Amino acid sequence: MTKIVVNATHKGGEGKTTNSIILAEYIALVLGLKTLIIDMDPQANFSGRYIKMEYDPSYKGGKIPALHPDYEPLVDKDWDGRSSIANIFYGEEVVPYPTSITNLDLLPAHSIKLQEAEAVTKNEVVEKVHLQLKRFLELEDVQNTYDMVIIDTPPSKGPLTIAAIKAASHIVIPAQMEQFSIEGIYGMLQLWKQETYCRTPNNPITLVGILPNQVRDIKLHKQFLSGLRQGKGLGDYVMPHVIKKRAIYTEILVEDANPKSIFELPANNVARNEYETACRYIMEKVNHGEEKGVRN
Amino acid sequence: MAKKKVFAISNALSNGIEETIQAAHDYSGELRVEVVPLKRIEVDPENPRDLALTFEDANHGISPTDPQYARKEQEIESLQSIANSIKDQGIINPIVVYKFGEKYRLVAGERRTLASIIAGKTDIQAKILDSKPNDLKIRLLQWIENVERSDLSLWERLNNLEKIVSAYFEKNNLSKKSISVTELSNLIGCTKPHAANYKAVLDADPGLKQYISTNQIRSLEKAALIATIQTSDLKEHALNECLAGANLKRLKAIAAQKPNKIAQIKKSVESRGRQTTSVNLGITKNVGVAQLVLDSILKNNALSPIAIHFKQVDWNDYRAINNTFKQLVKKLEELHT
Repeated sequence: MTKIVVNATHKGGEGKTTNSIILAEYIALVLGLKTLIIDMDPQANFSGRYIKMEYDPSYKGGKIPALHPDYEPLVDKDWDGRSSIANIFYGEEVVPYPTSITNLDLLPAHSIKLQEAEAVTKNEVVEKVHLQLKRFLELEDVQNTYDMVIIDTPPSKGPLTIAAIKAASHIVIPAQMEQFSIEGIYGMLQLWKQETYCRTPNNPITLVGILPNQVRDIKLHKQFLSGLRQGKGLGDYVMPHVIKKRAIYTEILVEDANPKSIFELPANNVARNEYETACRYIMEKVNHGEEKGVRN
Repeated sequence: MAKKKVFAISNALSNGIEETIQAAHDYSGELRVEVVPLKRIEVDPENPRDLALTFEDANHGISPTDPQYARKEQEIESLQSIANSIKDQGIINPIVVYKFGEKYRLVAGERRTLASIIAGKTDIQAKILDSKPNDLKIRLLQWIENVERSDLSLWERLNNLEKIVSAYFEKNNLSKKSISVTELSNLIGCTKPHAANYKAVLDADPGLKQYISTNQIRSLEKAALIATIQTSDLKEHALNECLAGANLKRLKAIAAQKPNKIAQIKKSVESRGRQTTSVNLGITKNVGVAQLVLDSILKNNALSPIAIHFKQVDWNDYRAINNTFKQLVKKLEELHT
């Protein structure tokens, strides 16, 4: 079955998108697995890294995906040539976009459509949003095409994040070692707990763990980290590897960055090594008890 | 020296995180909610609720020859408002079922299930337990589902509770006759005072229970209060007052009385300032009222000796009326020394 990893926390700025990018590129570039990335965040940053996003003419500040490369206006009369993950909430077809990275396909965000999906009334939300992504990812086509799915979520605990968690097989919670971030962890753990209640034994949701992110060599960060590691029961869920605060992790996000991916850095590069170790840990958890391997 | 800075995660936060993880481990998969076809749901024969209406009736209508036709009609009526809300927005809380062969047996949510059938639904959201929960757990789940329902009578709640307690004894191999307040509060997850009330009523004498079973006593607090009165005459008095509709405050006053002083009026509030030692008969601007009071008093045959003094009153003169009343009170006091 296709493994679905969700990067989620309702606090912003913790590194969800960066972590989604690096993990996805690790899986596609280094492991060579067929990977689908999904951007559930109306901010559309994740999408913008891989395809051209255009400003929405009808919604200032919002983004829409560019025309799909396979779109042929003269032949394709049944769609407008743009496709986003938001389509699943409107009963419309989705067409993943290829990216410049082999093995990596993207279902981009669509700002206004995602926001509208999130704004459906309370009674409709379960039927129209919560289970939609799960249903989509369970489709035979999706299961047969992809080995891994990585989902980036908006900084909220709203319907879009819940939809991602309902669809997930694994959750990663990136977090800074700071007060508000740790309160954010607590909030996310509630969602994880709620979800574990309603999973069957053969379809569990696994908390890979909390990824300590943007860690600096200061007392506050060290003490919060050791506090979390010593926490009863929690220690097992704090990843043994930390990501330090480094300029390179934001430099690769710039347009025309060179290198574009940390996996283009030399194998002995400190930053590449640090993140690769964390990615390897996540994938070991994901493949736990299963044969590790590349799709033939 | 500057204070050394120590950064630690607050206790509240780390406790909360710890509890969350524990709960996730303990209850993983316990409460999975799925959509179940209504036709595969059947009632648990030992369900403590006793609706006469069956799933068959809800599906195909009540047969006019059914001996319980009237009662069932009434039950359908009472389910109609839930059915309407289910039509609009579905059920809010999923029902609880367990797998029983090809069927699902109800643990909790009989009324919601019946109402869904009446609403014309074909399926319903249900929490599915993998196997039949043990007797204690099933009763506890039913208790939790029912405890917030206003239409369960005290008697029905007591019956359920009795079954819970006996399941509890059986599970733990206890041969005790009575459950402690602490055990009971832990078992049904309520406060100790509330559990104490339930215990008092569970342990009550058959006479009191009789009134509860016939719905003449419907308040748990009142029943518990009466059950705990030790003195038999006070108890009987409280019971009678309760049946006559006395409120809880009044019953508490009775319970607090010393034996044999039932008639004594209890001063409930200490007044401030100087002690009040006389009775003010009140003030009115309405001469008609004054006239009525005087006439009524003088109609009393026992007072006929003084009536003669009040034959002529000038009802147009407030001062004269006041004097008349002062005189009246004086005469009455003379008669009542």
